[in-house]
Amino acid sequence: MSTRIRTRQRSLGLLAVVIALLWMFPVYWMLNSSFLPYNRIRASEPSFVPLNGTLSAYSRVFDSNFFDTLRTSAMVTGLTVVAALLFAFLAALALSRFRFRGRRSFILAVLIIQMIPAEGLFISQFKLLEGWQLLNNVIGLSLLYTAAVVPFTIWMLRGFVNGVPRELEEAAQVDGCSRLQAFFRITLPLLAPGLVASGVFAFLQAWNEFTLSLVIMTRPENMTLPLWLRTFTEANRVSDWAGIMAGAVLVAVPVMIFFLLVQHRMTSGLVSGAVKG
Amino acid sequence: MNRALRLTAGLAAAALALSACGGDGDDDTTEPAAEGETAEAPEPAELRLWLNGPDTPQPMRDWLVAEFAEQNPGSTLVIEEQEWEGLVDRLTTSLGSESETPDVVEVGNTQAPTFTTVGAFSDITDQVPDLGGDDLLQGFVDAGSWDGKTYAVPLYAGSSYVFYRKDLFAASGIEVPTNMQEFVDAAVKLKQDNASVPNFSGFWLPGQDWRDGAAFLWDAGGDFAVEDGGEWSGALSTPESQEGLELVQRLFNEASGAPKDANEADGHIPFCAGEIGMMLRPGWLRGQIEDPAIGCPDMIANVGVFALPGTDGEPAPVLLGGSNIAISAQSQNQELSANLLELILSDEFQSQYAENGLTPAKVSLADGLGTDEFAAATIEAVTNAKLTPAAANWASVEGSRVLEDLFVNIANGGDVQQLAEEADADIATQLD
Amino acid sequence: MLLLPALAILVAALGYPLYRQAVMSFQDYGLAQQFGQPPEWVGLDNYVTLVTDSYLWTVIARSILFCFANAAITMVIGTALAVLMTLVGRGPRLTLQIGLLLAWAMPHLASLTVWQWLFDAQYGVINWVLVNLGFDGFAGRSWLIDQLSFFVVATVIVVWMSVPFVAFAVYAGLTQVPDELYEAAEIDGASAWARFRTVTVPLVKPVLLIVALLQIIWDLKVFTQIFVLQDAGGITSQTNLIGTYIYRLGLGEGEFGLAAAASWFVLLLTVVLSLYYVRVLVREEEL
Repeated sequence: MSTRIRTRQRSLGLLAVVIALLWMFPVYWMLNSSFLPYNRIRASEPSFVPLNGTLSAYSRVFDSNFFDTLRTSAMVTGLTVVAALLFAFLAALALSRFRFRGRRSFILAVLIIQMIPAEGLFISQFKLLEGWQLLNNVIGLSLLYTAAVVPFTIWMLRGFVNGVPRELEEAAQVDGCSRLQAFFRITLPLLAPGLVASGVFAFLQAWNEFTLSLVIMTRPENMTLPLWLRTFTEANRVSDWAGIMAGAVLVAVPVMIFFLLVQHRMTSGLVSGAVKG
Repeated sequence: MNRALRLTAGLAAAALALSACGGDGDDDTTEPAAEGETAEAPEPAELRLWLNGPDTPQPMRDWLVAEFAEQNPGSTLVIEEQEWEGLVDRLTTSLGSESETPDVVEVGNTQAPTFTTVGAFSDITDQVPDLGGDDLLQGFVDAGSWDGKTYAVPLYAGSSYVFYRKDLFAASGIEVPTNMQEFVDAAVKLKQDNASVPNFSGFWLPGQDWRDGAAFLWDAGGDFAVEDGGEWSGALSTPESQEGLELVQRLFNEASGAPKDANEADGHIPFCAGEIGMMLRPGWLRGQIEDPAIGCPDMIANVGVFALPGTDGEPAPVLLGGSNIAISAQSQNQELSANLLELILSDEFQSQYAENGLTPAKVSLADGLGTDEFAAATIEAVTNAKLTPAAANWASVEGSRVLEDLFVNIANGGDVQQLAEEADADIATQLD
Repeated sequence: MLLLPALAILVAALGYPLYRQAVMSFQDYGLAQQFGQPPEWVGLDNYVTLVTDSYLWTVIARSILFCFANAAITMVIGTALAVLMTLVGRGPRLTLQIGLLLAWAMPHLASLTVWQWLFDAQYGVINWVLVNLGFDGFAGRSWLIDQLSFFVVATVIVVWMSVPFVAFAVYAGLTQVPDELYEAAEIDGASAWARFRTVTVPLVKPVLLIVALLQIIWDLKVFTQIFVLQDAGGITSQTNLIGTYIYRLGLGEGEFGLAAAASWFVLLLTVVLSLYYVRVLVREEEL
């Protein structure tokens, strides 16, 4: 490698690091603020480093039933991710492996669904869950979340299924598998990256959603994390900013763990799906 | 017990059970069924009470829960704290739901008409005398009444008064103002004398803060909207309103150093940073200044208060803040809810609000506020306080943020006459 | 048959609400109806009210402009960062990826609060930095009061939030381009830009198209960021986009029928506007 190219790569590397730092700045600011006493969070002289900071925000946050809320959020998110992936997987199989009437319109309908302005919809969705007695219910909320992410996951997964050569399934069928068995034994493992990529998306949607959760989960014991985080905004007639930021750090940690576990596979996953789609 | 009321409640519940298409018949545990007619006490149940924000402190809540359980054997009270933000979304959906409605809810006094006029609350006209009758803060009863019937009663009130820095007043040689003219002069002079402090406000008024700016509009004899033969129309371009808004613009320009488009949240931060000479705030600002974690307790010795004086030297009409309380029309526990309402408006509970610096729902209990400077300012400010126009659709005006826009534009140096005419047109469509 | 579960959940969770929205859009449906009064059938009145309101058209035009600007900026930055990831060593690449991941994972309440603080007129870090760099004019300057500057701030926030998704998706696409193609192009003497244009772009085109379409859809629906910024400052009537407009009609003003009509109207408009694009996409995919 010539020195010219190496210098270029090094300066590009520097650029990447600088951009990364810029992009992370708001995240750093959240972390920084979570350690600051109240009067230093918003002041004429900003505190860029939490020198002489305090951990008191974290103790406040842990004291306010964080773990119960975490459980509710984990259940809703888990249900949503699993249901969305399963349903989208089946639909994606149908859409890329079978030709049938209405297939095209289904694909288009799925796309159009994503265009619906959602701001007024929650009142009707509330009425719907009321009729089914699923208000204040993890399953009810998961149902709405699943419907919200399924269109996107179908589109994503369809691309991935297209990427798996049909011949593999046919070979398995020759070996005596039924068609469905062939899907589950051969295609499913090859789709792992695609499932992970769509799963991350579904996870983030369900984890961070606020409005539906606000109107559906009205009982305190059913709070999800975004609602819980919101309780710090009026804790003492003034927002407990450090508490909000400390809480947000805690909310973000599970997401980061999930990310880091799957990040590697997600990268290769998006490839095979999208390109060969 | 009021038998007629109970009968109505029973009938209403039965009707609701019939009309709920999703009902599958096995939720008979909560149904106040026919046998409730003969029994002395109502069916024991768990009652849900929604209280908003931190205005009702924990000891008061504990007292309420314990007392309710004692007076209504077998029943329990659960208090669920709500945030003001997003409250309307929740009320709009939950109050309409037979199964998930809270039984008793607190609403902001300006939100009350929105829900009383649409049938979200139970009619409690017959109960009002038991709850305090003429002793109740009349403005709040009016806000909770519609078409001759009362649906919501006051919970507590609070009005803003002026917090000022005694040391800065002394440095500028200013006395506590006794009328509007002196107040404005003081505000302008303070800003001039402290020009070296960045962002300094002689009188702190962020651009979106029409709720505190309203005092100047009303003091000049103006109003947001007026009723004429059942028709509401915007009144911001009348000569009186114009005079008030011109004054607001002058305050924005010459007295305030607050951002011209910010909201009024977190005013104690610039105050504690020494950037404010005077500010019109609710009484709880004192608690924030005194709180070592968020405020500046050292400064409290330099803090004085007075009720904003009007042009005539009487207290100026400031916006009357506070909450109403009401029973959800869909509640399955109407009678228990009525019991709870009575308990909430009892002298014993209400006087605890006074001890916490809020104006209680009953006029006779105002003495409980105490006798110090703060109590005097609280009492005085309420005497002449005013509510937003009592139009059924007033909440729409607030929801569309016409008034925030108007005040920001005024703060930003816009033409007051023209802006007011535009706002009047907007208000007219909203109230229509 | 495999479609059934997905179809069922979509019909179950969205079918009835959409149907109800459609019905409401032909009714005079306000808060009173929400609490049980029978709604009055008003036919096309809501639609007529909307279409003849010049403000709606202003909002739509503004939204479309905002949407395309944001989608374009997001796509360009996202793609550029993806290309950058392929060009640098492992260390810088991981740093960049983690930076983007963190931004993506940050809860919205926290990120929107932090952005408000950064742009705060009096205590904001951005003004503080500018003043310390010698730009005294920025002391106490409000970033939101001016319409253009409001949307610049909104764009910064929206782009900041959406770039991670685009960057990862496109990066994934890029890693799949066989190195041999680049080498062949290099031997032919193609410049770096020419190689990018002739080799890379065609190969990642499908992913670019899908991601761009999703960005356009999402940016047209942007709501929270605008809503929060309006509360912090600025002039609401100058800064409403479709999302906040419908919200204020519905919950703010209690005009649910009108809001429902606006939703349906906007949906139809979106479909019409994206028709051409979708057809390109469909052809590209050999649907």
